Parts: sequence; structure tokens; C-alpha cells
Amino acid sequence: MMDPVTLAVVRGALEQIADEMDLHLIHAAISPIISETNDCAHGIFHPETGETIAQGRYGLPVFLANMQFTVQNILNLANAEGGFKPGDLWILNSPYVCGTHLQDVVLVSPHFVDGQLFCIFANTGHWMDIGGGVPGGWAPKATEIHQEGMLIPPLKLYDAGKLNGPVVQMFLANVRLPDQIAGDLSAMSNVFNIGRRGIERLTGRYGAEALARCFDEMMERSERQMRSYIADIPDGTYRCEDWFDNDGVTDEPMRIALALTVEKGSLHFDFTGTAPQARGPINLALTTTLSACFVALKHIFPEVPVNGGAFRPTRFTIPEGSLLAVEYPGPVGGYLEVVGKVTDLTFGALAQAIPDRTPAPSFGTTGVVTIAGRHPETERYYVGVFPYPGGYGGSRQTDGLVHGTSPQSMANFMSIEMSEHRYPLRFDYFALREDSGGPGFHRGGCGSQYGFALLSDCLVTVLGDRVDHPPFGIAGGGPAAPNSVRIDTGEGLWEPPLRSKLEKQAVKAGDRVQAASPGGGGFGDPLTRDIAAVERDIRLGYVSAETAARAYGALFDGNGRLDRSATERRRAVLKKEMSDAR
Amino acid sequence: MGGLVGIDVGGTFTDLFYSEDGLTAHAVLKVPSTPDDPSRGLVDALCAADIDPDGLDLIIHGTTIATNAVIERRGARCALVTTKGFRDVLELGRRDRPHIYGLTGVQNPLISRDLRFEVGERLDHRGRIVHPLDEEGLRALGLVLQDAKVEAVVISFLHSYANPAHELRAAALLQAINPAWEIVTSSGVIREYYEFERTSTAVVQGYLQPLIARYARNLTQRLSGWGFDRQALIMQSNGGVVPVKQLAERAAYIVRSGPAAGVIAAARVAAEAGFHRIITGDMGGTSFDVAVVVDGEPEIAETTNLDFRIPLRLPMIDVHTIGAGGGSIAAIDRGGMLQVGPRSAGAVPGPVCYGHGGIEPTVTDANVVLGRIKPDDPIGLKDRKSLDIDAARAAVAGLGRALGLGLEQTAEAILTIVNQTMAGRTRLLSIERGYDPRDFALVIFGGAGPLHGAALIREVGIGTMLVPPSPGVLCAMGCVIADVRYDLSRTIEQRPEALGESAIADILADQRREGEARLAASEAKVREIVVSHAADMSYLGQIHPLRVPIESGWGCAQIVAAFQAAYRSEYGNDLGDIPTVIVSLRTVVQGVRDHAHRVREIPRPRAAPPPFSVRPVYFGGWCDTPIFRRESLLPGMVLAGPAIVEQSDTTTVIEPGMRARADGYGNLLVEVE
Repeated sequence: MMDPVTLAVVRGALEQIADEMDLHLIHAAISPIISETNDCAHGIFHPETGETIAQGRYGLPVFLANMQFTVQNILNLANAEGGFKPGDLWILNSPYVCGTHLQDVVLVSPHFVDGQLFCIFANTGHWMDIGGGVPGGWAPKATEIHQEGMLIPPLKLYDAGKLNGPVVQMFLANVRLPDQIAGDLSAMSNVFNIGRRGIERLTGRYGAEALARCFDEMMERSERQMRSYIADIPDGTYRCEDWFDNDGVTDEPMRIALALTVEKGSLHFDFTGTAPQARGPINLALTTTLSACFVALKHIFPEVPVNGGAFRPTRFTIPEGSLLAVEYPGPVGGYLEVVGKVTDLTFGALAQAIPDRTPAPSFGTTGVVTIAGRHPETERYYVGVFPYPGGYGGSRQTDGLVHGTSPQSMANFMSIEMSEHRYPLRFDYFALREDSGGPGFHRGGCGSQYGFALLSDCLVTVLGDRVDHPPFGIAGGGPAAPNSVRIDTGEGLWEPPLRSKLEKQAVKAGDRVQAASPGGGGFGDPLTRDIAAVERDIRLGYVSAETAARAYGALFDGNGRLDRSATERRRAVLKKEMSDAR
Repeated sequence: MGGLVGIDVGGTFTDLFYSEDGLTAHAVLKVPSTPDDPSRGLVDALCAADIDPDGLDLIIHGTTIATNAVIERRGARCALVTTKGFRDVLELGRRDRPHIYGLTGVQNPLISRDLRFEVGERLDHRGRIVHPLDEEGLRALGLVLQDAKVEAVVISFLHSYANPAHELRAAALLQAINPAWEIVTSSGVIREYYEFERTSTAVVQGYLQPLIARYARNLTQRLSGWGFDRQALIMQSNGGVVPVKQLAERAAYIVRSGPAAGVIAAARVAAEAGFHRIITGDMGGTSFDVAVVVDGEPEIAETTNLDFRIPLRLPMIDVHTIGAGGGSIAAIDRGGMLQVGPRSAGAVPGPVCYGHGGIEPTVTDANVVLGRIKPDDPIGLKDRKSLDIDAARAAVAGLGRALGLGLEQTAEAILTIVNQTMAGRTRLLSIERGYDPRDFALVIFGGAGPLHGAALIREVGIGTMLVPPSPGVLCAMGCVIADVRYDLSRTIEQRPEALGESAIADILADQRREGEARLAASEAKVREIVVSHAADMSYLGQIHPLRVPIESGWGCAQIVAAFQAAYRSEYGNDLGDIPTVIVSLRTVVQGVRDHAHRVREIPRPRAAPPPFSVRPVYFGGWCDTPIFRRESLLPGMVLAGPAIVEQSDTTTVIEPGMRARADGYGNLLVEVE
């Protein structure tokens, strides 16, 4: 056994190396999506099992466990052809191997000490363009991966230190921003030198053998830590199901189902009953389905370290051919919608077991509103991307947050003033959406709503969900308001046929786009909400008087003021009615 | 020239630094702070130092009053008036959450939704009027605000940075309704785009203004009562000072001014000693503050988050804080691994050895167990003559049993882990800026800093640690040496050719005039005025601009060339023919005060004095370690580690394998041999 001090110091040092790799790429990348929103990840992985030894803390949550499963896939491929060689560097973006979507390019490189494979480095970076039918890559009508962009199967960018130049030329010829992509590719390749130097410092200090023993023991400790949290969850099977509105192509709802079994300190995620792979882009690759489950767990137990040990006490049953294990050539552009749903299902299941620790689902659609066209002043082509903000779910501790970012990301909403400088549009309003949080003992946070007028003709693309199936409440809490997208053409409001999925819709100058996002689900019985809190909600306009009467049992006096004692009496009657009904 | 006093009013202690020449410490002390009226503690400190008010030219002070008022939500009852459709901008922010993992947490905006109002008006992004100001609606709103009994009104309209006319007109109309209101316009606080950040900054200003105005009046009266009627200056977070008469209108600028003062002092002390690239490390009871200074200029942050969704978009010295201090608690996590911090024992109950009820071992307890801190006459404790070593030992030993480690190994492990955390943040901070930390010297201060600095330089690979003469009151010293400073900015968001050279020159000249007018109005005594200009520029389409120093009178081509050169040096390449945009133009007007200038030769090495005492201290094993009094170390004296240097405000550890020498300015320079 390693002494505990060395172990703690080595763990800190390994996390530091991964953090430094994150920061070096964030500093060096050309693509703003990496440098501004940290849309990247770096990790160090076990030479035999491919398990995560350490992962940088600056990268986005969605890559949490995705990297480990990707490295394990590449490790198998490399072993099949005789094993890694020093100086090898693999590249890929095939979602069927490395998850997420085509824009996320993954590099994997082995590290050798004294001729022996010692560990594996990997990173992921979001490229601003990957070719395909829609600039930026969100194509709601795609029915096969090739419409979404260039597919890179696992291949060696460097073979034993020798660059495969022609393959780089091929990449650059197939993207819209070749200079940026060339810069990002070399930045991503260079970051491994930071990792190598860090590992060399550590092997110099502790010796390769002791360091390798630290890897194993760190993972055992993390596994023990994870099991101790799971042990806090009562044994049992907890079920939850939810629906997607449609897949962007065919207007039919799609089911997603989870049976989560907790038994003797381990978890079994069983998604049997989930709909088959969708024709449209509402699909998720297997590695990212696993990752999404861990993101949900990490949101409930933030203290758990991110390494392979923490992933060990879990098992998965994910039906082949389902939308959670997409196969070639299924499109994946709407994968974030599916990640959000997996997170919500995990919360919905765990809420039955540990309601005191589990928040209700958040707004649950990562959807983006994209506008594109030529700016009338500069004549230049522009693409404006407005990601959905929305409310978070209520929890035992507090009401939900207003206007949060999606749980698997940290990206911000663009400044209104800045977007008016950049795009030919003018915002009419940008406001909290009243009555959008699910009612509860602690209500869901409000979503938001915005509307803008277009000042010249352009194309609008929307990729969202949760119109027909809004975020649900837990522990007796109510659902949030559904998502809503409308276009005001001057002749009335028009709702897209697939509600929140719309590809390259031509709109005219003077037309207005209006979006309203869901709030979070409610936590607990709304009739138990503190009456003073309901009064405050009405005063601040988070909840309307009508909703207060309907969901919270509020009664008002002749002056429109909430009558506390009458409200208490009415609540008592309502509670009795409900328990009698049961 | 008379004496100068710097006073840093912190949450727990009020520190005083008195100097006759502005650099040499003639009196240094700490008294307890008085949070109910911080000006009382300030005068207590002056009395305790026995300073003659008649011999004093200037009092300069830093304060946490503004920071605390925001964090504890103790500011004014304030209303916000916005463009119709946008009153929620303040609450919505830019789509984020408090922590990367964990979806709980709430927000508490400084102005709640029922005090946020809308009025008809709209400008476009060039400042052209789309809808005129609804003056009638505004007058009606004025009556609503009267009923709402607000003290301050913040007006924030979209695109007011491009044309403040509507905000100014609205301010005048409301002021006519109630002359007692403190009225703040967003364009008057910063003329920059980003509606949420500008609104938030203006709201912080409005929220603080009535409070700070009262504080300024109290302070002036108290100082006058003490016998001082000459000038008092207040430290700002940008590293400059502002006179107390302008304090209310600069309320948002004094948030976190204490840490800024520490960085200013560290930069000055280091430059005098010949170090021009430094990392400053300030370790106190609960936190470790790090900052980077290159060529005397501290790195500046454009936006600082005071709390979740309360950004302050004003230039502030970029001080990063992590939860590592003397009070950080050591505990074992569920995987059986030792962790230190970020939980802290704080001032109450404090470390176990303080005997105030703490039961979990802290970093300070580990230092006590290892003999690094002397047990008798503890710093900052008034109620006891000695620390409770036995209790500290018992607490650390208890933790050790769970880890299978002995007493001393456990204490060492606690220090190793807290040092690694601090070293890690220090490295990341410099890497974020694109620097190699090994090219820097570390200036270490704060009550706990010099106990850990030696381990930090070893861990980070820094060559030299500089311990200033009074590390425990360095922030107070920083107040004394700061200059008067005004930052002006204005968002343009246009291509330089579209704007035109004469328009650029006009804007810079306006900014210069405004800064100089404020400086003149301050009546501060300055030796010279230094004006510098910069442009924030980007390639068309980029989100984040790069700051480029420019000169008034430069042509567009020259400005663009300067940007491209800056871009190449930052990112290694430029983006060729992509058009460039001037995002904003900036001017800094500094009134440089008359500072003492010292040049001392490098003293010839000489032997250390005989130690004051010898005691066993643990460095991987107990060894009899010489203990020196700081004041006995004369210029040129050299000490070999292991050694401990004690002084009234801190304790410095010199590890085995390190060497310390006293320089000509009273600093202690510690190097790895």
C-alpha cells in the first residue's frame, strides 16, 4: 500500500497536470468556442484498462466520462494492431466511437517510460466547423451523419512520430474555416507535451513503479468513496420515463425509460424500453449515454473525484439499436437534448430514493436558435447562435435558479447589445418568464423569454425539445411551463410544425422570433409552500395570482391581497380531499 | 514633508503603517476592527500608534466596508429604471450557475424585481434614437418611486454607452421630482457595452453610494475630532487612490481595495529590491490571494464577480483567492484521503491551539505541532499568553491515527497538502496569463504567508522569495505608496477607418480632459500627471478583445499594426486580412505623488548574528533550529536554513537547503541553494 501522504500529493499533482493541459489549450486555441466557453477536455488514462486517472477541471461536464470510454475503444483498436508505439497520435470524431457529435474532435496519444507504455493522454476540442450541410453543425432535419459533416474514423495522425500530412490536407479541404482548424489541430497536438513533461517530473520524483502503484490505489480509493455515497441510497429499483416531442423529421413522440437499481453499494442503469434509434438527429452515442449518467451523479454528489474508480460501481443495460446507442449512419446533431433527458431521468429515479439530495429536473432543452444570412451593412455572412437558458429545478434546500445554463455545459448567453452590433436584429424584450417554474414546496426557477425583430431577410434554425413534454416535478412538485417558439410574421403568430425544431426557415425583415424557455420542475407538495413565500412570489411576479390560487391554494381578499388564514383553511380542505381520493 | 499613515481596515483587524518618508516603517500595529462604524477602529489605530496629528501630511486607507455591504446585502434601498422590456436583465445575467457541479443554489439580486421599473425609450447600437424617451411615463414613475421610499435610483438603458442622452434626461427629470435621491446612470459609471455587466456595475454603485457617502462624512468628522484636517485618500481596487471628498461617487471603485493595496506594496518593494516580474502571495487566516505583476504593473481584471451574478465591470487588480489559510481544516474524505480546506475554522472558533472551542485540526495547529510557530505570546490573540500546544497535538494525532501516521508525519502531511494547493493555484494563475512561473520572484506576506513561502517556491520552482519588512501589514503600506488614478473607457465597436482618425483623437482628448478635471477637483497633491491611452481591439467576429497601448495622434494604420503585433506576440500568429475592430478606447490619468526614492547598494555579505534562541523544529525530523529576531538582521547578513525568523506580525520559515540574506531595504531574500 502507498503511504497516504504520497498518494494525496500524487493525486493532486496528476490533477494539476490535467488542469494545466486544459489551460494551455484554452490559451492557445483559435476557435472562440474553446477559448471562450472551455469546450474541451483533457485527461490521463490507465495504460492497461484505459480508465481515467485524472481529468482537467476546466473542461465541460459533458466530457466527464466520455473520454474514458473513448480511450478504451482506441486502446482496443491499437492492441489489435500490435499495440501503441512511442510517438503515435490517433485522431477521430466518429460519434460511434468517441461519442457527442462531429464537431468534437478527439486526440489520443500513448506515453512511454523506459520503453514501456506508462499512461495514455487524450483530449477533446470543439471545432467551429466540420463541413456538412449547416454552418456550425446543428442540422435538425439530418437523417444521416454525412449531412452533419466530415466523419473521421479512428486513424493515426502521427505514426511513430511521423505526421500524416495528406490527411491534414484532406481535413482542411472539407471545412469552412481551414485556418482556424489548422491552428486548433496543432494547439491540441502540442498540449500533450505539457502532459509528458508533468509525468516526467513525477516519475523523476517518485519513480515509475511507485507512480503506477499510486494510479491503482487512487482508483481504489475513489471507488470506495463512490460506494460510500451509493450506500447512502436505499436499495431498490427506481423507475422513470419521459418523452421527446419528436426527432425533427417524423412527428411522433419517442420514449426514454430508466430503471435504476441500487444494490449493495452499486448502481445499475437499465434503459430497456427506450425508443429505437431516431431517423432525425435526436440520438446519443453509447459513450455519451454513460457519461450523461455520471454527469447527473456528479451534480448530486459534487465531492466525488473524477477518475475511473468512481465509475466502477456502475453497470449499464442500454438496448442495442436504441436512440441511446446510435449506430452508423444515424445522425446525432441533437445529442444535447438526449443528454439532458438522461440527466433528468436519473434525477427522477434518484428523487424516489434520496429526495433530500436530488433536485427536480432543470429546463431540459439545450436547444439553440440560430440565425444566418448576409449582414446588410458589411455584406458578410454571419451566424448568430442563441442557446436556451432556463430555470433549474427546486430542491429540498431551495427554490430553483432562474435562467441557468444547461447542466452539461457552462456556456453563456450572448450580450444583447453585442448581438445588435453583430447581427441585423433588434431585441424587443429579454425577460423572466412568469409562471414558468413548476409549483412546489420549493418551486422551480423561472425560465426566460426573449423576442427580436429581424432587420433583414435571413434563415432561422431551431433545435430544441420539451414543448409537448415539459420538465416534470419530483416529490409531489408540479411540472414547469413547456418550451415555446413562435415567429410573428405580421399576420399572426406562427408555430413551427415540429414546435421547437425548424431548419433554415426563411424569414423576412420585420418578422419577429419569440422564444420562451421552460422553468425547472417543482420540489414537494405546493400546498406546503410557506404562504409568505407565495406572497413574495406574487409580489415579484414569479407566480401569477391565478397560479397561486390554482396550484398553491391561495385565496385573496376583496383588495386582491392574499388572505393568509383563508388560504390555510383552503389548503387544509384540499389536502384532505386529496388524501381521501387516495 | 510630514509623516504618512496607511491604514487597512479588514474584517478582523485594522492594520496601521506609519512612515516619515513613505517607505520606511516607523510604526506598525494591529487593532481590532469595529464593523459597526469602521472609522472608529481607524482612529483607535491612530491613537494606539501615538501619532501626532500635527506632524501628519496624509492619511490613506483601504477598507472592506463596500465589499461587506454587497456580500451581506446591507446597501441602500434602491430602484432600477430600464428600457421597456429589459428590467430583468439584472436578474437573468448571462445564463450561468454558481458551480460547475451541483444544480442547487440561488441568486439574490441587489435590487429585487418589485423595485425594477421600465420606461419607454430605445436607442440602436450606434446610439440613434429608435423610440424617444417617454417623459410623461417617467414622471408618473417618479411618483411611484416616491411611494416606494427608495434612497437611490439607478438608470440603465440599452446602448446608453453609445449615447447617454436618454439616461441623462431621465436622471434630470427624476432628480427634479426628488432632489434627495442619489441618482446613478449606467453610462456615467462605465461607457461600455454588455448590458448586464454595465447595469450590474451601476447597481453596485447606486447600492453603495448612500452608505459610502455616510461613511465619508463620519470619517472626516472623526479625523477632525482627532485633530487631523489635512487630506485623507482612499484606496481603490484599480491600485490608485481617490480623495475622501470624491468617495461617494467612486463607491464601486473601492470594493476589494485592501488586497489591491497589498499587491501595489509588493510591486513597489520588489522593484526597489531589483525584481520586476513577481507573483504576490498573501496568506491570512482563511484565504490565499495571488496576483501577477510584470514590470511594476499589476495584471488588471476587466470584470470581477463580487458574488454569484454580481459582476463589477471596472478595472481592478486581478487578485485570485483560494480557500487556503492558517484556519483551513484538515479532514479525511470518504475514500480515506487527507484533505486540507477549503473549509476553514475562521476567526471563530479558530484553530484548536487558540482554545476558543475549535476541535478540528488546522494548518496553524500543524505549524504549532512542528515547532514552527512559537507557543508563547501568540500574534493577534489578546486573551491568552500562550497557545494550547497539547490540544493541537491531540487533534493532529487523532487525525493521524485514522491515517496510520505518527503525530509529526500527520502535521507535515497537512502542510504538504495545503502547500500543494497554493502552489497549484500559483502555477495555474501564471499559465492562464501565458507566463512561466519560474521566471518570477515570490513576494510573500500576510500573517501566515512567510510560514509557507519557502515550501511554495520549492514546489513551484521559483528561485527567490522576498519577505518584506512588515509582511503582516503590507496592505496598509500599499495605501501609502499608491498614486491617484482615474480609469476612463468608452465602447466604440467600429472599424478604425469607419470611425476616422480625428474622431479617435477627439475621444481620447475628451477622456484625458475628464480625467484631468477629476484630478484637479480632487485637490490631491501630485508631482506629475501621467496619461496613457489604450485600445481594446479584435478581429471582426471575435468575442474577446486584446488591449493595445496607443498614443494620441496615431493614424488608423498605425493602430491596426500595433494590434496585429500584439496579437502575434499573444497567440503566435495574426489572422491576415480579416478586418479589425476597435471595441473600446481607454485612458488612464494618474496623478503621481511625491514618493521617497531610495537607492541602496547591495550590502556586503556578513555573518548572521547569534541566534536569539534555539528550539527544536521538525523538518522531516526534529532538529535544533536557530531562532532569530527580524530586527537583529542587518543588511548583508546571511542565514543558512533551517532557521526561523520571528517578528511582531509574522514568522518566517527558512527550510533546510535554503539560504536567506537581508538586503539594503530591510527585505529578507530566501533562495534555494
